Amino acid sequence: MIDQLFILFVILPVLTAVILFAIGPRSVWQQRASLAVVALLWAFSLYGLVHVLQTGIVVLRMGDWPAPYGIILVADVLSMTMVALTMTIALAVTLFSLPTVDRARQEHFYYPLFFILLMGVNGAFLTGDIFNLFVFFEVLLIASYALMALGSDADQLRETNIYVVLNLIASAVFLLGLAATYRIMGTLNMADLAVKMQAQAENPLLTVLAMVFLFVFGTKAAIFPLYFWLPGPYFPPPAGISAFFGGILTKVGVYAIFRTFTLLFRHDPSFTHELLLALSAATMLFGVLGAISQMDVKRILSYHIISQIGYMILGIGLFTPQALAGALFYIVHHVIVKSALFLISGAVQETTGTTSLKALGGLATRSWFLSALFLVAALSLAGLPPLSGFFSKFIILQAGMHEGRYGYVAIGLLGSFLTLFSMLKIWNGVFWGADRAPTRPAGLRPLLPGVVLLVSLTIGIGLFPSVLYRVVDAAAGQLTDPRVYIEAVLGPQTPGSGILPAERTSQ
Amino acid sequence: MIALVTLVVLSGITLSILLSAYRVLFGPTIPDRVVALDNISTNLVAAIVVFSIRSDSALYIDVALVIAILSFLATVAAAKYLLRGTVIDNGSAR
Amino acid sequence: MTSLVLSTATRFLLPLMLLFSLFLLLRGHNDPGGGFVGGLVAATGFVLYALAYGVEAAQRVLRVHPRVLIAIGLLCALGSGALACMSGQPFLTGLWSGYEIPVLGKVGTPLVFDVGVYVMVVGVTLLIIFSLAEE
Repeated sequence: MIDQLFILFVILPVLTAVILFAIGPRSVWQQRASLAVVALLWAFSLYGLVHVLQTGIVVLRMGDWPAPYGIILVADVLSMTMVALTMTIALAVTLFSLPTVDRARQEHFYYPLFFILLMGVNGAFLTGDIFNLFVFFEVLLIASYALMALGSDADQLRETNIYVVLNLIASAVFLLGLAATYRIMGTLNMADLAVKMQAQAENPLLTVLAMVFLFVFGTKAAIFPLYFWLPGPYFPPPAGISAFFGGILTKVGVYAIFRTFTLLFRHDPSFTHELLLALSAATMLFGVLGAISQMDVKRILSYHIISQIGYMILGIGLFTPQALAGALFYIVHHVIVKSALFLISGAVQETTGTTSLKALGGLATRSWFLSALFLVAALSLAGLPPLSGFFSKFIILQAGMHEGRYGYVAIGLLGSFLTLFSMLKIWNGVFWGADRAPTRPAGLRPLLPGVVLLVSLTIGIGLFPSVLYRVVDAAAGQLTDPRVYIEAVLGPQTPGSGILPAERTSQ
Repeated sequence: MIALVTLVVLSGITLSILLSAYRVLFGPTIPDRVVALDNISTNLVAAIVVFSIRSDSALYIDVALVIAILSFLATVAAAKYLLRGTVIDNGSAR
Repeated sequence: MTSLVLSTATRFLLPLMLLFSLFLLLRGHNDPGGGFVGGLVAATGFVLYALAYGVEAAQRVLRVHPRVLIAIGLLCALGSGALACMSGQPFLTGLWSGYEIPVLGKVGTPLVFDVGVYVMVVGVTLLIIFSLAEE
């Protein structure tokens, strides 16, 4: 029974969006209901994560149709970790949005759009069917286009245009890849695909498919040659949206790479995963170099997203249990800290009206508390002990040492050194020195709850890393042994006998 | 027999569509093109019905109905746009 | 402002198109058709009405705001899926009533789902077209 409730992660956001849409944009319930629903889903996602850790993978068959034919949702530890993470950020972003989202945005359906976005993200994490992954991608993209364009000054529309066109191209290629997959494999269910791909591992077309999907997900995740779109669109929208986009949206692409390159495309790691390693090194380096040259808080943060996605891809490329656990640890850490930093930059923007390093300075004398929050988050991002960033980088780089990939480890260390450098640049430009920043009448206090939530999480992970490590270790265990996933979805398999679809349970 | 007759009819319709397509592409005036487009969709409806006879299945008839409705609407909209410059009048324009 | 032929024809065509859309909706379970196409045809009917008589008249004939239709439709569709959840079965499992209704045959939650899709498609299409016309 409790398993059936997992559907709430997908339908409760839609339901809320519909109701908020219907009650009219001026109602005070827009804010209250949003906060209530997000808090509820957040609590339930934490419970769901614990539930999946204890009882194993939860599989939901829509309409009771058996797996290779029907639509399924699969909640394994990886998916639930991502959902719990999404809801945590959603909670922080909602807390931040309540005082900052202006009337005009609210009247143009800011909150309903946000819930549609949540539905798309949660659905993408939970679906067990690569076609539905496409569908949920489209749902979240459509909502993100609208959220990005809301407000529509010229800059914003130009950046949104780039983002829309790029994603349309990626989606078209995605659809072509799906059609090719269906033509070659005859199924789109991920577990079923995994079985069939194992059975014909020598088929050279598999590598072609892997490259097509790597292009698509790489575009969404902003890895090396495809990252050029990222810094722009995250700059103009309000900070709450930037925080959610910067924290979660690119990670949907990373999650898709995780899923496909651990479950499906494991036929030829000496090529595919070696390629991922090379791309990850380039991504780490170019992202952080881009960040150094920027002079605006939000743009620096956006470039850091790119370099940090490199670390996650590095974990997938190494493809050992420890590296996967480290990469997942890194995702959790990165999403929390990155969103916190974006929200802090939003708070700076709300109280001063700008995020440019040249116009700011000396905010530490105005609010020691905000400065302390920033310092903790920034040092965590750079990977200083005892914060969450240290452990995540440590696990990945240690896995790299075990594999003897010293070159990649060196690039990773160089990357985090340069990250520290540019974080200190923000610190010097925004918080240190004489107070010369412009002032706006907005109060700082109502902006802080979401930031405090996220920063205390990064401190908490730093103090008790073993709690999170147990979760990501369980997830990595499931990822390195895809049989667990396949058997949860399709039922017990006998090796070499092809698929055995489960009996349909009831009419 | 049916197969032969429908084949002949279908090729006739195809020819007609091709001729209309010429009008759409090179038609000197815009009304020419609109009428030609309308003609294409009428032919399309006919082709679907003939195909439905050929494949001995009534399912295609509904498809033809929907296409007929849509093409009617499209032609009306185009005609109105040519005559008045708007497709749908809002309240104030009246 | 209107053409006499068009407005007279529309008065007969609108009910016919709505009837046809209902027909498409109801037979969609096993044959081509269903909520989506049905909804599109119904919306086409109202668009035709707007062409002949103007947007305001079409909105009067529709009686409710398209936004309300979208909400009702989505709630219908989700509710039909959630009914199965309440009886402990997976989301969207079809629940069928035991006895037959004349004309319709066996009725169940898939029909409710389709009706929801129908209403929502009408709402979305008309919302788009009315907003475009109001520019």
